[in-house]
Amino acid sequence: MGFADRIYRRFPTVLMARRNLTRTTLRSVLAALGIVIGVVAIASLGIMGATLQSGVLGSLGGIGNEVVVSPAANAGVESLNDRDVREIRRAATGSVTPIRSGQGLVTYGRQQSAAQIYGMDNPGEAYDAAEGRIPNPLRSGALVGSALAERLEISPGNSITVRGETYRVAGVVASQGGFSPVSPNSAVILPSNRVPGEGWNQVVISAETGQAANESAVAVREALNDREERVSVFELASITDQIGQVFGLLNTFLLAVGSISLVVAGVSILNVMLMSTIERRGEIGVLRAVGYQKRDVLKVLLAEAGLLGALGGIVGVVFSLIVGLVVAQVMLDDPLAVLEPGTAMYLPLAFLFGIVTSMVAGLYPAWKAANERPVDALRNS
Amino acid sequence: MAILEARDVTRRYETGSETVDALAGVDFSIDAGEFVSIMGPSGSGKSTLLNMLGLLDNPTEGTVLLDGEDVTTFTDKRRTTARKNTIGFIFQAFYLIPTLTARENVEVPRLLERDPETPERAAELLGRVGLGERVDHRPDELSGGQKQRVAIARSLINEPRVLLADEPTGNLDRETGRKILEEFQRIRDEGVAIVTVTHDPLLNEYVDRTVQVEDGKIKAVLDDPSEADGLR
Repeated sequence: MGFADRIYRRFPTVLMARRNLTRTTLRSVLAALGIVIGVVAIASLGIMGATLQSGVLGSLGGIGNEVVVSPAANAGVESLNDRDVREIRRAATGSVTPIRSGQGLVTYGRQQSAAQIYGMDNPGEAYDAAEGRIPNPLRSGALVGSALAERLEISPGNSITVRGETYRVAGVVASQGGFSPVSPNSAVILPSNRVPGEGWNQVVISAETGQAANESAVAVREALNDREERVSVFELASITDQIGQVFGLLNTFLLAVGSISLVVAGVSILNVMLMSTIERRGEIGVLRAVGYQKRDVLKVLLAEAGLLGALGGIVGVVFSLIVGLVVAQVMLDDPLAVLEPGTAMYLPLAFLFGIVTSMVAGLYPAWKAANERPVDALRNS
Repeated sequence: MAILEARDVTRRYETGSETVDALAGVDFSIDAGEFVSIMGPSGSGKSTLLNMLGLLDNPTEGTVLLDGEDVTTFTDKRRTTARKNTIGFIFQAFYLIPTLTARENVEVPRLLERDPETPERAAELLGRVGLGERVDHRPDELSGGQKQRVAIARSLINEPRVLLADEPTGNLDRETGRKILEEFQRIRDEGVAIVTVTHDPLLNEYVDRTVQVEDGKIKAVLDDPSEADGLR
């Protein structure tokens, strides 16, 4: 006995269901095709939505991982002192970079530009170099943001003049995405003692994950604002959360659109099952006559609907996977991104929807056939 | 005691304003090892009587007793179980499932039991009705007589004590019909009660008793029907 035969011995309803479906192969295939389309619609729309979301969040960069601590201006605090920075370091996880900021004129050769000037001692903890290197700690020399470097055509090794003093450029800071209040793209970074002023204007905390950033923000608020308001904490994790929520809504909408095609597929299964139970009225009457309970007839017919759904579901999932690989390749340049759980989950989800739709559609014809009196089924067929 | 008994059974159909008594106060009973035919013109109520005896339909009035127990009060589930355990059915149109082989068709009544001995027993029954060579053929590869023999094998798979046959020779040529009826006699000799509904006078040569039905009533009972061809 082959493997298939053993399965059939174990689940005889599946045997009957499968054989019944092959009786009108074309009709069964067309009914399953409806489910294929429905499953592909749901799965690929879901995958597209999820891919779009990860693409957009990816281009926002790690801004969700960043927390910026500023003096609480509305409470009259103008700058943060070293004690504040120590407390922030104690409370936060991740790297902590205090910044003293100002404005100034930057000159290279004959070109001039007004720029934001950041004084920081450990820029290497917060930023990467696009060219040259970022000394950590920064004791002498200057770092130039990528946009400014491009505008003034500055390369590492050049000498630039900032507020009338000359610095040698050690490196160009890699471009930062997002909309953090501290953006080095158009700024010059100098050692903190070269920027005039008392204390620090900002402290940037870079955490590993958005969640860690959020926890740091909470911890810093607790530690520094306990007795009186000392700092205001700006975090982007909540904004990226909101963006995520917007995409969640968008995805639900896409899935709802996809579900319409599955509903249509369900109607076609309903039609096919109804036709086939009417055609087989006499046979079903015989089954009832020879001792099949209503429930047994129901099982056989639901197994048929389930098989149609499973067949359509499997083919649909394969197609959706191909669609997903293409979409991920086009949008993210990484076809395998489709296998990430948040994206891939739409495949089993759509498969499940396909089967459930078929079974629900098969329920009425099966119920109708099971409840017909055998004597009527035998007389009128 | 009779295996199956119908007492004063009436079956009334209402179509619109008309009321038709398909059966009007019929008494009938059959014992183990008896072969009885019910004859009568179309619309005489003979098929309705067979449906009553087969627990497929309930009488409007009167009772149907199976082993002395009134089955008209049974739930659908209990009636189905009683059919399964006691009664085998053979139909004029065979009603084989075209996508199943002869053997699988014979197994159908027991298929959901998952009894590992069913396939063997099905093959045995097919051998008995002379289809031992054709167990793996589909119905469309079988002749009418062969299909009817598959149907007979199917009716025997649950080891019934009563066999009900509706026009078992109706779709068969005379020679094939004889073979089927000889098979019925052998089944009868094993103690199975057989009731057939038929137009076919050929049956008179084989049965122990013929009940003639007309207009929903029993017109005559012939205990030696082979000599009463003219009464049909």
